[in-house]
Amino acid sequence: MANIDTTTDAGGRGAGQNALGGDNYLTHGRGLKSWLFTLDHKRIGLMYLVVILSSFLLGGIFAMLIRTKLLSPGNSALMDANTYNQMFTLHGAVMIFLFIIPGIPAALGNFVLPLLLGAKDVAFPRINLLSFYLWVTGALIALGSIVTGAVDTGWTFYTPYSTTTNTNVIAMVAGVFVLGFSSIFTGLNFVVSIHKLRPQGMTWFRMPLFLWGIYGTAILQIMATPVLGITLLLLIAERALGIGIFDPALGGDPILFQHFFWFYSHPAVYIMILPAMGIISELVSVFSRKHIFGYTFIAYSSIAIAVLSFLVWGHHMFVSGQSLLAGMIFSFLTFMVAIPSAVKVFNWLATMYKGSIWLATPMLYVLSFLFLFGIGGLTGLFLGALAVNVHLHDTYFVVAHFHYVMFGGTVIAFLGGLHYWWPKMFGRMYNELWGRVGALLVFVGFNTTFFTQFVMGSQGAPRRSYHYVSQFQPYHVLSTIGAYTLAIGLVIVAVNLAHSLFRGRPAPANPWGGATLEWQTSSPPPHDNFPTTPVAGDPYDVEAWTYDGRIGGFVKKAPAGQPAAS
Amino acid sequence: MSERPVPSDDRSAPAPLGTGRLGMKILVLALSMLFAASIVGYMVIRLRASAWPPPGVPRLPGALWFSTLIIVISSGTMQTAVRAVREGRQRALRLAMLLTTLLGVAFLISQTLNWFALTASNLTAKTNLYGFTFYMLTGLHAAHVVGGVIPLAVVTAGAWRGRYSTAFHPGVEYCAIYWHFLAVVWVVLFTLLVIVG
Repeated sequence: MANIDTTTDAGGRGAGQNALGGDNYLTHGRGLKSWLFTLDHKRIGLMYLVVILSSFLLGGIFAMLIRTKLLSPGNSALMDANTYNQMFTLHGAVMIFLFIIPGIPAALGNFVLPLLLGAKDVAFPRINLLSFYLWVTGALIALGSIVTGAVDTGWTFYTPYSTTTNTNVIAMVAGVFVLGFSSIFTGLNFVVSIHKLRPQGMTWFRMPLFLWGIYGTAILQIMATPVLGITLLLLIAERALGIGIFDPALGGDPILFQHFFWFYSHPAVYIMILPAMGIISELVSVFSRKHIFGYTFIAYSSIAIAVLSFLVWGHHMFVSGQSLLAGMIFSFLTFMVAIPSAVKVFNWLATMYKGSIWLATPMLYVLSFLFLFGIGGLTGLFLGALAVNVHLHDTYFVVAHFHYVMFGGTVIAFLGGLHYWWPKMFGRMYNELWGRVGALLVFVGFNTTFFTQFVMGSQGAPRRSYHYVSQFQPYHVLSTIGAYTLAIGLVIVAVNLAHSLFRGRPAPANPWGGATLEWQTSSPPPHDNFPTTPVAGDPYDVEAWTYDGRIGGFVKKAPAGQPAAS
Repeated sequence: MSERPVPSDDRSAPAPLGTGRLGMKILVLALSMLFAASIVGYMVIRLRASAWPPPGVPRLPGALWFSTLIIVISSGTMQTAVRAVREGRQRALRLAMLLTTLLGVAFLISQTLNWFALTASNLTAKTNLYGFTFYMLTGLHAAHVVGGVIPLAVVTAGAWRGRYSTAFHPGVEYCAIYWHFLAVVWVVLFTLLVIVG
């Protein structure tokens, strides 16, 4: 452990300090304008959090409507077939482009990254604010398509249907195009921040692993998003000019669109999962009260996953007519992704091994993540196998698989991270009992919803269909019950967190005993994050922090031979 | 990490030079992916076509060579500006920046005339994929040139007001990274579209 100045920590604005009554970033500057034009990464992070959670709610409402409709096989009371197509398209597009892709990096990442770096802000605060408004603009354009003719192509916009449908594909696609700029600028900001703003003592391999995850994500955002940009431009051009790029009726090649689309959208899956893995790496060490196991392996595996993610897009296209050789190569590379993923899971489990595991709410999400990501990852191997893929292609098995990875992985980690950093963000503790109840209901509800779909899909139930054969009804009913349970769980989470803003116990600086730098400033942090530039030590030296019942949080242990400070 | 930015009190203060340059390079990386993907798309379309260029399309204007000459020269004047400001030669900086900006505008005019010439000989973006890819690639590049001429003009104005010194001239450095990149992209596009044909 490097030389963190314990006297400042314990005596100054350090351990145990709650800054709610005094100056902090929330009270620094008042009025709407001080928020809308803020350059403070913490406020920008909070604004992202609000709009991203609103998108999550919107996408969730679409999901609940879909699940309700699917309660009976021939039900057309709730919506007609076209509305149903629009509904699942909007569910997918909103959840992916507005919620999951920006979720962890833009909301949590923005808030936490400079704090983890011991820095005052990101490298380019103005570009950060620009990204936020690009997000808002893109979201408004995309959602505007709901009024002008909601898209019914599925979130993948496959040609030739997307170039011939009379719904407003151009608005949705243009919105996603603008969102892409937001994503690129966020990635750019984070990469430069990590390169240039690390404090003294923080070498690359002494960075918190969340930063490695964010770094991998940012590289993907920078390098893959432009490819989506040009693809969407071509799609717009084809619709507007009637040029046959993708539409076979005009002499185009629909497979070309799929190649382009998945060249972005497969890496996008890792844009979603890498920062989630980063959060898990932070939480698993803190709540096992033990140093992270295999730091270097976890760090390198993030980069390995980022690199491999560029080479596996063809596994979405096994039945598209690409050559068998291409299929075999993509299948092989897909299996390769399992290696760095398994390396991570192994190291997380090894971190927990012989740790004193503290089952606080964030740790419940970690355990959920390990279980659900395990299932999501392993079923990915089924789908990566060529012959099995032919059977499972476009069935509910695929739906279940990517929900296990997207929700079971990313959203669960997002919720875990949100509960973990919530006291730092707002200076208040949420109710622990209700936090756990929420986590448990989310876990049970999620599994009920989607494990059923694995079974249904393996029996051949096609995804996206409006009506279905009645043999699948019991599964659909069970799945819908699960979805309602999940929704109730999420409502409990939301109410609990919202309630804490008003009634929560004031949070200490370090409620969980984390050794990363964000816990070494007050909760909530001051406008400039740290009163003095901190010196980074080992980010996983959690055993150097000990619980102090008087402040309800952790303080740094005094070096041997000295009386405990404070 | 050769330099560590000093924490400043003002978040709207310009980033340190090393930080800004890294940011520009990453932006260029992202744009490289954009052009690379466009070029791959062009090649796929081209390889699938039975004849390229399709029979009956007009020849591409010879003035594209002129555009190439302009942008290559402008890349040279841009570098002259960077060297001048690093060595504190204000007059050379002003002239080189002004010349680069004017050449940038000249490039855009030349490209516009090329498009008019092609349209006049009945090849538009809607004619066929040959026309579409030509207008798409040159248009994508021209859009980025427009996005380069504006900051060039701003920096030129700054140079004439004596804003830059040997110690402080981030605008000039950032323009140079972006402008050289656009020149390289154009040379690649020109090679594909005109020389390979």
